[in-house]
Amino acid sequence: MTKRFTTILALLVWCLTAPAALADVSFAEVVRKTNPKIVKVYGAGGFRGVTAYCSGVLISPDGYILTVYSPTLDTRELRVHLYDGTRHACELVAAEPQLDVALIRIKERERFKDLPLDYFDLSQPPPEVRVGDWVLAFSNLFEIATRDEPVSVQRGVVSAITPFAGRRGIHEAPYKGKAIIVDAITNNPGAHGGALTTRKGELIGLIGKELKNALSETWVNYAMPISELRDFALRAMRGEYKPVERPERTQTADKKPYHGIVLIPDILDRTPPYVEEVVPGSPAARAGLRPDDLIVFIRAPRPDSPGEMEERVIASCKAFKETLAGLDPGMTIKVIVRRGGQLLSLDLTLEQNPVR
Amino acid sequence: MRLSTFATLPTALLLMTTLVDRAIAVPPVIAEAEARRLAAIEKVRGAVVAVFGRGGGGGGSGVLISPEGYALTNFHVVQPAGKFMKCGLADGVLYDAVMVGLDPVGDVALIKLLPQEPGKPFPFAAMGDSDKVRIGDWVLAMGNPFLLATDFTPTITYGLVSGVNRYQYPAGTILEYTDCIQIDASINPGNSGGPLFNLDGEIIGINGRGSFEKRGRVNSGVGYAISINQIKNFLGHLKGGLLVDHATLGAVVRSDDEGRLVVTQILENSDAHRRGLDVGDQLVSFAGRPMTSVNQFKNVLGIYPKGWRLPLVYRRTDEERNTTTTHQVLVRLLGVGVDRQIQERPPRPIPEQPPEPRQPGEPRRPPGQPPMPPPGDDEKAEDKEDSPAAKFYEEKKGFANFYFNRLERDRLLGEVKKLGDFNNLAPVWRLEGERVQPIKNAFTASISQNQVRLTLDEQEFALEPLKPGESLANLREPRDSGGLLAALYVWRRFLEKGEAGFEIDFHYGGYEPFYPDGTAASRVDCEVLNGEHGPFYTKWYFRRTDGQLIGFETYTEKDHDPCEITFGDYRDVEGRKLPHRLEVRYAGKDFGIFVLKTHELKTAPDAKEKQP
Repeated sequence: MTKRFTTILALLVWCLTAPAALADVSFAEVVRKTNPKIVKVYGAGGFRGVTAYCSGVLISPDGYILTVYSPTLDTRELRVHLYDGTRHACELVAAEPQLDVALIRIKERERFKDLPLDYFDLSQPPPEVRVGDWVLAFSNLFEIATRDEPVSVQRGVVSAITPFAGRRGIHEAPYKGKAIIVDAITNNPGAHGGALTTRKGELIGLIGKELKNALSETWVNYAMPISELRDFALRAMRGEYKPVERPERTQTADKKPYHGIVLIPDILDRTPPYVEEVVPGSPAARAGLRPDDLIVFIRAPRPDSPGEMEERVIASCKAFKETLAGLDPGMTIKVIVRRGGQLLSLDLTLEQNPVR
Repeated sequence: MRLSTFATLPTALLLMTTLVDRAIAVPPVIAEAEARRLAAIEKVRGAVVAVFGRGGGGGGSGVLISPEGYALTNFHVVQPAGKFMKCGLADGVLYDAVMVGLDPVGDVALIKLLPQEPGKPFPFAAMGDSDKVRIGDWVLAMGNPFLLATDFTPTITYGLVSGVNRYQYPAGTILEYTDCIQIDASINPGNSGGPLFNLDGEIIGINGRGSFEKRGRVNSGVGYAISINQIKNFLGHLKGGLLVDHATLGAVVRSDDEGRLVVTQILENSDAHRRGLDVGDQLVSFAGRPMTSVNQFKNVLGIYPKGWRLPLVYRRTDEERNTTTTHQVLVRLLGVGVDRQIQERPPRPIPEQPPEPRQPGEPRRPPGQPPMPPPGDDEKAEDKEDSPAAKFYEEKKGFANFYFNRLERDRLLGEVKKLGDFNNLAPVWRLEGERVQPIKNAFTASISQNQVRLTLDEQEFALEPLKPGESLANLREPRDSGGLLAALYVWRRFLEKGEAGFEIDFHYGGYEPFYPDGTAASRVDCEVLNGEHGPFYTKWYFRRTDGQLIGFETYTEKDHDPCEITFGDYRDVEGRKLPHRLEVRYAGKDFGIFVLKTHELKTAPDAKEKQP
């Protein structure tokens, strides 16, 4: 009995003296405290490979949520699921496409007066982040969690803090500020709007959309630093935010036809032209193309005599690009795809390249 | 050569540590954490298995869980490898192994490695409690990603638990992962089947799946491990060489706006329906776990084998009377059918093949067209007799490896033999005593090989169990017992003839819970023998802690409640152990408790004297 007591005492002393706050101690407690500040956002999309979901972070006790600006928010049916599984209708308060960030809020906020939500306090500047710091990423990547299920947490190290030019398919990413680059694979579908925190759970960044580095064509795992977004968030919460007037980027004199098909990365000599993604609202989306479709043939007007149609075998991503490059906006072509075991013929009308 | 490596390695490490210490002065807490991590790795790495198909097909990882060489891996690792495989351990030695049990839906397989010398124990790792795993805990994943290690030493990746109780849909051709552990430690092809450890070196899961969507088939920060607690539920089945089926309640549920799970459809022949569950009822909890979302519902069901009986709590609201009643029942789970098309996600496109329905008990598909032949159906030359493991394989339809079923079956039959020799006794066994509940009545029963008679409360019942054309009502006499006469007949037959008494089927059925007094609280974990004879299907329950036969259930018809009998008060009678208390239950209700006063198993006193 005494022996056991001594052991317990010794353990206690050891616990007190050895500040186990560190190294291999579980993050369970930090996760438990942080999870209630993350929301699952559901909005437009959900068809043809466009995620209808993303993540968001609570920045006020009454339901203001900071997230990444995306077409998902472009709906009157915007909803969030809080950590406790409750569902709430939301509305867009302000968006800053140049920062790729948006503020949304829960419509019925009265209920939080008596029961305030846990939130990240942006009134103070965020802690400094340095290369080499450990970070945690909280997001609902791949929509793994629903309702009251906790969002996913990942751990990583800050690899760099640097401006970067990202792009997705044919689109350049608007965000041109500094990014916190991490070594964990954080930027997956639906992760955008999630939180990048210190190991103590302090908010330091907002996980961005899935983007490739425009220079190297590689996926980048990054977050936009809260220090860059804080001004927007605070002003938008006060209702004082006015979108910054920026010179509209002029359209380059390209007459390349726009279709909205994003193929899988062209890494082989003859990469089979599988559709990776279909840009929502694009001609391809209207034509009914879907991710995972394999493009087999294209029936299009002959370049030398546009009145006649000719069918071309599309054996690779390269062949697809070459074929499309010879066509003009306004033309309607037939795209024959293999989906499952079937061949489908879809009509696609090419458009002008959209202007941002 | 090996020795020198071993000698130099610590020296090098020591040197490095010293250098590093000087260079950046590692704080003691970090050094300590590292030391603990290294200790955990050292403790278990010997148990990690690199699995290879004998013909060079397949490959993956596994982990030894017993000194006899039983190892867990994924179904999708064993499936292409075939019945026999080669397994490398961290000691650099390649061992022969044989497939033991398969759980295609849960993506688990049990294999057995053969020791180099008979009886030589293998290193193995202990299984932990995956219900204790929390999001944010550190984990170690081990295995052979990309089949890199030619010396079979495991690759170790380190990370966090990203989520627990995750549900992953069987999208396309992928198997269903229920209640699994999501991790951010790198999981790549080849890691499949390998262990996930906590920092105490206990197995908390089997790594088996990743979200590989956009990067081809490499890690994208999301890996999934099958929780070890799920596997523990199936371990008896797997050790028994079974082809395991998972469970369904037979009901479809939807979560309504208030977050309640409401039954929208229910199979009429499901046990849940027989126990009263109906459309519109709200599910509150199952197997002690609250039901908050459809995912949780699927999670909780997914971790149990077909046939298990578990407590369900549901709530019914009577709108007219404005009352809500809560019901707690024990529900037997239906099977989901194991012949679903199961395969790890292949490179796209995924061919869409409609699943072919198969009735339970029906033979598996013949080899040939199926999208994924059952293991061993493709007769590779290497797969034939030349594996040293071939003597541990016995083919039988519906089983992964009947050799192991025989092994477990005979072990339990050994427990029956311990009760005594019931052979060559009187043609008619007579039992007398009292039914003590619900009311006191005297009873007498006589059981012969083709007739059972029971007198209860001055009423006479008789049954000729094998008479052709016997009606179901007769087979279930007395009323409300579910077939006590039939059960007594089957009981004698089992004690007397053992396996030989069940001409249609007799096999070991793995682990199952049994409820001696019919309440959820009385649960006893058991092992099961299944026997089918004539029109009767019987399950015999043996307590796992001591092998005692504590009860049985006799079914007179599939999809109908059985007559349940719980044995108690075992006493020695002339060198035989006989239960003196039989609790009889049917359809969730007590039929009665029978207390045995006298019994006559031998012909007559004079017959006894005749014996030398």
